[in-house]
Amino acid sequence: MRTAATASALLDRRAFLRMAGAAWLATLGPRAAFALARADAVFASGCMDHAGRFAIAVLSEDGTVIDRTPLPARSHGMAYSPATNHLVAFARRPGTFALVIDRGGKAAPVTIAAAEDRHFFGHGCFSPDGRLLYASENDFDANRGVIGLYDARDGYRRIGEYSTYGIGTHDLSVSDDGRLLIAANGGIETHPDFGRTKLNLDHMEPSLALIDAATGGLVQRHALPEKLRQLSTRHVDLDEKGRIWFACQYEGPRNDLPPLVGHFGKGEDLTFLSLPEETTIGLANYVGAIAVNRREGLVGLTSPNGGRFVVLDAESGRVLREEDVPDAAGIAAAPHGFAVSSYDGRFAGRRADVAWDQHIAGLAPPR
Amino acid sequence: MPGRAEGGKLRVHRLAALLLATGFAIPAFAQEATPPELTDANVGAVMAQAVDDVIRPGYRAFHASAGALAKATAAFCKAPSEDSRKVLDAAFRQAVTDWGRIEIVRIGPVLNDNRFERILFYPDRKSTGLKQVQALLQQPDEADTDPANMAGKSVAIQGFGALEFVLYGTGSETLMSAPESFRCRYGAAVATHIETTAGQLAAAWDAPDGVQQDWKHPGPQNPVFRTGKEAMTALLGILVHGAEAVRDQRIETFYRNGGTARPKSAVFWRSGNTWTSIDANFEGLQTLFDKSGIAEFVDPGHTSLSGNVDFVLTALRNVVRTADPDIEKAVTTPAEQQKIAFLLVNTRDLIVSLNGDFGGAIGLGAGFSFADGD
Repeated sequence: MRTAATASALLDRRAFLRMAGAAWLATLGPRAAFALARADAVFASGCMDHAGRFAIAVLSEDGTVIDRTPLPARSHGMAYSPATNHLVAFARRPGTFALVIDRGGKAAPVTIAAAEDRHFFGHGCFSPDGRLLYASENDFDANRGVIGLYDARDGYRRIGEYSTYGIGTHDLSVSDDGRLLIAANGGIETHPDFGRTKLNLDHMEPSLALIDAATGGLVQRHALPEKLRQLSTRHVDLDEKGRIWFACQYEGPRNDLPPLVGHFGKGEDLTFLSLPEETTIGLANYVGAIAVNRREGLVGLTSPNGGRFVVLDAESGRVLREEDVPDAAGIAAAPHGFAVSSYDGRFAGRRADVAWDQHIAGLAPPR
Repeated sequence: MPGRAEGGKLRVHRLAALLLATGFAIPAFAQEATPPELTDANVGAVMAQAVDDVIRPGYRAFHASAGALAKATAAFCKAPSEDSRKVLDAAFRQAVTDWGRIEIVRIGPVLNDNRFERILFYPDRKSTGLKQVQALLQQPDEADTDPANMAGKSVAIQGFGALEFVLYGTGSETLMSAPESFRCRYGAAVATHIETTAGQLAAAWDAPDGVQQDWKHPGPQNPVFRTGKEAMTALLGILVHGAEAVRDQRIETFYRNGGTARPKSAVFWRSGNTWTSIDANFEGLQTLFDKSGIAEFVDPGHTSLSGNVDFVLTALRNVVRTADPDIEKAVTTPAEQQKIAFLLVNTRDLIVSLNGDFGGAIGLGAGFSFADGD
């Protein structure tokens, strides 16, 4: 049993974060807003500099850093709304803050503190009209994933939550029509009392769930079969046809060769891709990020553990390209193929004196 | 003439200045160093030293002191006296110390079957353990004095937290006057179960074909580490995550700059062993760093990186050992607060240094090199 949880100490943490958030907001002058709004900024990613300071950077298409905006702590995933021009960075789990920036400079930045007895899991998404922000969160006392709903028109006030119908929720996405939320329930139990320690690797419960965005009702849920119960379903992206591509991290024996990527749609079973053995080995049983380039019909995968970047044909599932990228971190669709970043500072082929974090957000409608 | 408290404050300030002067607090990526090639063979040798010289002896020592604690608890229950109590207090402190040295290893068999929490259920922010133990003591059930039943019980009534309340919490004063009391025999059962769990851990690591084999021989068929780099990442991960745990889960649970101090949330505050436990954590990190030979991978021209890690760990230990074991005083006295602030600042720098400079210098990516499930 592990019902012990947070209350007072985390309340303090939230108060602390409000202060940190306020200090952070004070650092954002007109210059930062201007830089964030620059038209040539097409990517955003979390990063850490040589002194251990965290920031969000915006970059041009060729990987040139246009500007960095300091963050009070390490972020993880981000979401961007083309409708409102708002960019949000979520704290890395078990983080308790999210920061929203209006790239148009019309509204002041907003710091969202996690609700009592909840922490952010590091990902989220906007509704297509930008009015709602959905955040993947942990109800850690009950050990269940939830989706926090935040009203973008009311200072990102938390207006409710839905269940994700799973545990260890990580990535969260939304269908193009805004009707379905897609939750990647990694199946791994964590609790802020134990930091990032994975508490249930011997009885994981990974699943993928489609949730009605209007009601929070469960539309469809795929628990992974028993033989794949240590396959953590962690990241998702959607292709042109609305198919949901998912990427996994395997917690079982390192010398197993499990399927690491697959897709499904509404009313469909999961389809796992049967990648060539050398591709699976190259991905080191750990896909850190996935992105779909819709225009070119490509699916890109990165693995920091394997130091590998893989491109698949979305139609056939065939491997089109494999490349060694040591410490491969984030991936996002680019005009041609993908932009890939690395922990050691490379981004789309350029090098910066920062470590890039695990995800890249595209600052444009899906390609 | 400065009083003792002021003297302590001055010492901490001098030490902080010294650390800054060494450049420790302002790390830079070690781009100039030539990272070594991490092979299955050379990493295997370091992993073997980590396993044989640190981890296995660590669990064996904990198993031995847990056994001594179980015996001392049973002897005290049978014949409570000043002498048997002294033996028990010393045994409790030693077991806390030996656990503190090896609890930095938050990977491997200790994560199976909730063993970590069975040994130490902490932080217990909602006092679940306290509530359950108090309820158990108010409604005695002889089944709770049988160690064999402990495995099936809530982890909140097992481990050091429960035993500390029995021996040092409210009502523990009755133990001296009541031989073989229910409270004491329940405590003895808890201590015996800690010994059992410690024995399982020592056995798991000592099994020749078990986890130690996997750790010492990374390779394509290895179920844990397929490459030397993966093994090295895990080893450095123990150090980084261990330092993070000291800061986030041992110190900031009761003292945070700008936050409300909660001395009664400190680990082992009832027995006065808070700093004993934290010092043991630092000692465990330093022992692993020194004895594993992980620093041997650093380019000879950049050995100061290793020296910095050792230096700050020594400095942290020096300050911890002067901290007031009365946590109520420690969080309210300015000089003591300075010491805790020092620990928080320098554990952060330790983490940054290990994760950045040092990781880069031993051939791992400087920066976010711990792909641990995100």
